[in-house]
Amino acid sequence: MKRRKFDLAELPEATAVQVDDRLQIASPLRRMFNKVFPDHWSFLLGEIALYSFIVLLLSGTFLALFYDPSMQETKYDGSFTPLRGIEVSQAYRSSLDLSFDVRGGLFLRQMHHWAALLFVAAIVVHMFRTFFTGAFRKPRELNWIIGVLLFWLAFLEGFAGYSLPDDALSGTGLRIASAIVLSIPIVGSWVATSLFGGEFPGHVILDRFYILHVFLIPGIILALIVVHLALLVKQKHTQWPGPGRTNSNVVGIRMFPAFSVKAGGFFMLVFGVIALLAGLFQINPIWLFGPYKAAVVSAASQPDWYVMFLDGSTRLMPAWELRFHLFGHGYTLPPVFWPTVVLPGILTMLPLFYPFIEARFTKDKAVHHLLQRPRDVPFRTALGCMAITFYLVLFISGGNDVIADKLKISLNAMTWAGRIGLLVLPPLAYYVAQRIALGLQQHDREVLAHGVETGIIRRDPDGRFYEVHQPLGPVDDHGHSELEYAGWVVPKKMNRIGALLPTLRGFFYPVESRTPDGHVPSDAPISPAPQHQEIGSGRS
Amino acid sequence: MSVGHHNGDVDLDDPRLTRFDLVREGARRDGVEIVHYAPRFPVPGSRREKRIVRSISLMFVIAGLAGLGFVVSYIAWPFHYKPGFNINKWFTPMLGITLGLTLVFLALAMITWGKKLLPEEIAVQDRHDQIPDHAERRLTGATMLNMADELGIARRPLLRRAALFGLLPVGAAAAAPLIGGLIKDPHNPDILEHTAWGKGIRLVRDDLTPIRPEDVSVGGQMTVFPGIPGGNTNDHADSPTLLIRLRDEDASKLRSAATKIPENADSMYGNLVAYSKICTHAGCPASLFEQQTNILLCPCHQSQFDITNNARPIFGPATRRLPMLPITVDDEGFLVAKSDYQQPVGPGFWERSSS
Amino acid sequence: MTPAAEDRPSRRRRTRLLRRLGTPTAPRSKLRRRFGSAVRMLAALLLVGGLYAAFAPGVQAEDTSTLSGAAQQGQSLFDATCISCHGRNAQGVPNKGPSLIGVGSAAVEFQVTTGRMPLTQQQNQADRRKPIYSDDQARDIGAYIEALGGGPQLPEGDNLHSNGEIAAGGELFRVNCSSCHAFGMGGGALSSGKFAPSLNDATDRQIYAAMLTGPENMPVFGDNQLSPQEKQDIIAYVQNQKNDQDPGGWGIGRLGPVPEALVIFLVGLVALVFASLWIAGKS
Repeated sequence: MKRRKFDLAELPEATAVQVDDRLQIASPLRRMFNKVFPDHWSFLLGEIALYSFIVLLLSGTFLALFYDPSMQETKYDGSFTPLRGIEVSQAYRSSLDLSFDVRGGLFLRQMHHWAALLFVAAIVVHMFRTFFTGAFRKPRELNWIIGVLLFWLAFLEGFAGYSLPDDALSGTGLRIASAIVLSIPIVGSWVATSLFGGEFPGHVILDRFYILHVFLIPGIILALIVVHLALLVKQKHTQWPGPGRTNSNVVGIRMFPAFSVKAGGFFMLVFGVIALLAGLFQINPIWLFGPYKAAVVSAASQPDWYVMFLDGSTRLMPAWELRFHLFGHGYTLPPVFWPTVVLPGILTMLPLFYPFIEARFTKDKAVHHLLQRPRDVPFRTALGCMAITFYLVLFISGGNDVIADKLKISLNAMTWAGRIGLLVLPPLAYYVAQRIALGLQQHDREVLAHGVETGIIRRDPDGRFYEVHQPLGPVDDHGHSELEYAGWVVPKKMNRIGALLPTLRGFFYPVESRTPDGHVPSDAPISPAPQHQEIGSGRS
Repeated sequence: MSVGHHNGDVDLDDPRLTRFDLVREGARRDGVEIVHYAPRFPVPGSRREKRIVRSISLMFVIAGLAGLGFVVSYIAWPFHYKPGFNINKWFTPMLGITLGLTLVFLALAMITWGKKLLPEEIAVQDRHDQIPDHAERRLTGATMLNMADELGIARRPLLRRAALFGLLPVGAAAAAPLIGGLIKDPHNPDILEHTAWGKGIRLVRDDLTPIRPEDVSVGGQMTVFPGIPGGNTNDHADSPTLLIRLRDEDASKLRSAATKIPENADSMYGNLVAYSKICTHAGCPASLFEQQTNILLCPCHQSQFDITNNARPIFGPATRRLPMLPITVDDEGFLVAKSDYQQPVGPGFWERSSS
Repeated sequence: MTPAAEDRPSRRRRTRLLRRLGTPTAPRSKLRRRFGSAVRMLAALLLVGGLYAAFAPGVQAEDTSTLSGAAQQGQSLFDATCISCHGRNAQGVPNKGPSLIGVGSAAVEFQVTTGRMPLTQQQNQADRRKPIYSDDQARDIGAYIEALGGGPQLPEGDNLHSNGEIAAGGELFRVNCSSCHAFGMGGGALSSGKFAPSLNDATDRQIYAAMLTGPENMPVFGDNQLSPQEKQDIIAYVQNQKNDQDPGGWGIGRLGPVPEALVIFLVGLVALVFASLWIAGKS
């Protein structure tokens, strides 16, 4: 009987043939391999969020195998002695068991929680990068909207997540959430009672939060992330202007192997940072808080950082309640309504529609794939700084009792400082940011016209001192070059135009020698491309 | 340039083609031009290359060792709770450090590989989205219009209206169990207007023991619950009450202020006063009693209430005073409530009408 | 008509009597009269003064001989420092220091061993400082104040927690104490610059004394309100938690989400942003 020869070296090719016979993936696969990604550090911030989400899914699955969302009371009988014999809910008990009686349970709980904080932090930083560089403009408005929705979904997911252990700190937050829902006009009490299945806290809210947290919201987030990335693949990433870069191409590195190796490495790094945080910094020590009881509260009670700005807005809100009579009945609009329902509503709607609002203002209907430096769009940069200042005042006010206690400032003074700061500081930030942006623009053009300052001082025969400038292009009779600003970084130091080697060279090696492999370090590409056309400024 | 065979394609059967030529041609057919491709070490086997390879290998080895350390720590390190300072308390940090080092060194190795070993390259890809494809738009538009036409919705009003009539309630039918199952009436049974307190219900501590007036120190506060089964649990989360004994001057100040509010007028017992602990702003327990200034501070949003003036809010976002529980003593000398709170306890809501 | 006064038989008898006693009967000189009345005045004063000193109740401190040894030591310490704000007899000085009559040795021991007293500067609230008196000296001053006006006293011994049940103490702590002192015992802010201090440096006796006497704005938890056993439970819980290493790594102050936010931004994000700069560089 003839035995079929099994050749190991032929295995990859044989497998590929089998797969392609069935799926015809040769072309699409190669297209994916050859996809070009532009290479800038700020484009990696969204990836931090993506990788944190993966860590959340993995660690969350482990936790879900041990957690019990029931609010039924039981006596704690685990190994943490200071709580032995105390009446707690099953949710709290199972969270304590995870922390003290499951091997590695505390480590995974902490990884999950730190990853959650990092997830939202990365989303925020990524959102600001996209905003300040104008990456949300046409054709990416839909991706921006998906991004804003992802932020609010992450917010809700985190809130539901840290409420699950039913400890006193998050239970207080749940109480405030029920008060927020109660404050909604007309339907508030109905929605609150329906949500909690009766009076606060009831017996079902954690079961409902559990399903929201492990199934519904992660499902929606996952789906939106897939769409978000698919849009990115279809529309290709934006890029900074620069040599060879136009509005109709992407200059960078191909997906395989260069980009994937670095992206995979970054995933490991994000995972590693989360693991280090989880081992070295304690987070959410629920055993110190005790189980949630309606009569128990702590000083220095705050929600997690991404909710803290709403805590701040609630603290700063003055005691303004609307009371009026309609049809013979008295009605109330409590003060919690404005800072916790209306404000987040505005903060959702405004960013959602911002790309269209800005397009209307600037009357800009073109397709943009090139990014803008923040200094080149002063009004948007100033607006963004104003928004950040507004947010920071609220965020800091969310922790104003901790600040008051640790820095020995009066609590009442902190509240007043927040109220006044909220109104005064954002317009101030707008003005300052705009002036700085305009100043930077001016400096760019000045250097383009007059050249780079070399630091060499010359004295002419009249005795006048002047600094020698290195022009960046051909000059006219007056020494001015007529270079136009191209939307990219203008070199302002001599070592940026390849004139000098980095100073480290002069420390270990003589300044005059080149690097051992013959490279002159600079930002320009090394070899001209074959059959390459004129390299223009790329501004379209 | 779309995928497929065009003019300008390289003949793939040409024997002079190198592998990189094939790569370049494949990229070209995908719309990507590899503009610059330079190996980092044109001379293979240089000292620098060996040094970089060695350091990347070292990073992988460290990662592997740290990973091993993680597995060993996970299995063998003692972790059960023991009070005090002991080696068990280092279990989580050990896991974090070992796993963190594993991953970080893996990352360093991979990234260094990508940055220092892989060839330098610059590639340019065309976007092909600047010029709208009018032909495709027309074709798709025609297809879609035809779809709508064939369905005949526009042409057949009876069908359209009937379909609408049939489909809309289906949507409602899908939503009905979700909303109908969840919905609960807050007024029936009423949860907002009443608490667990009532006439004759004793004030008890957290351990359910009843309280005599002399148990509360002057300038002291006690958290009390209704003396019913489960009164100190979350089943009656609106009932926790703060019992305060004021000094004589403060008590008489409060007594005269209480006469201004009919429901508070007769609610104190001697120098003892009982206020709802549930803050009228957002429902946290307002429990920071400053015994010299007689201010009650709520830690959540810093509302401050003046205990000697019917717990009226004097700072912060709260707008309503804390309700006062009318108290007296029963035959055995224990403190009891005379009735429930005379107004809704806790945060405000739309239907709340009393002042 | 009456006969002249000098001629009356009573007068004559008096003169004879006085002569027998040796007292001069003849009118004296003006000077001698004046001198005599002065002497008589002085004698009368001495008599009255002596009677008063002998029988009047002591407005001042008790006769030193009735104070215990500790209280006597305490008195000399008190008179050296505390007297300037609290008055000679601890009755208080308006706008300077309150009366200490009735505060008891517990309050004195608390204030002095935590260094809050003697007060070095006027603030919204006295801060814990390095005490200038040793524990024994503080107890002596306490004994003195106790002798003056009575008040709550601490139980004997430095260890007030070994009979306490930690779990029960935890329940009591969370209902009564955490709202001001926080779950992690790091303290918290009160209104207008006041604060509830951290419990990390507090000894058993200081915690007991604070509960018993309610220093400054802290409410008073008398023994009828929190029994001595319950106080020991709370102290056991507090001391156990303070000496319990955080199982999750560095506790970052046990202050909750605020330091956690600082860590995620200043450690996590900063590290990852620097990593991005390294990975991709500036294109």
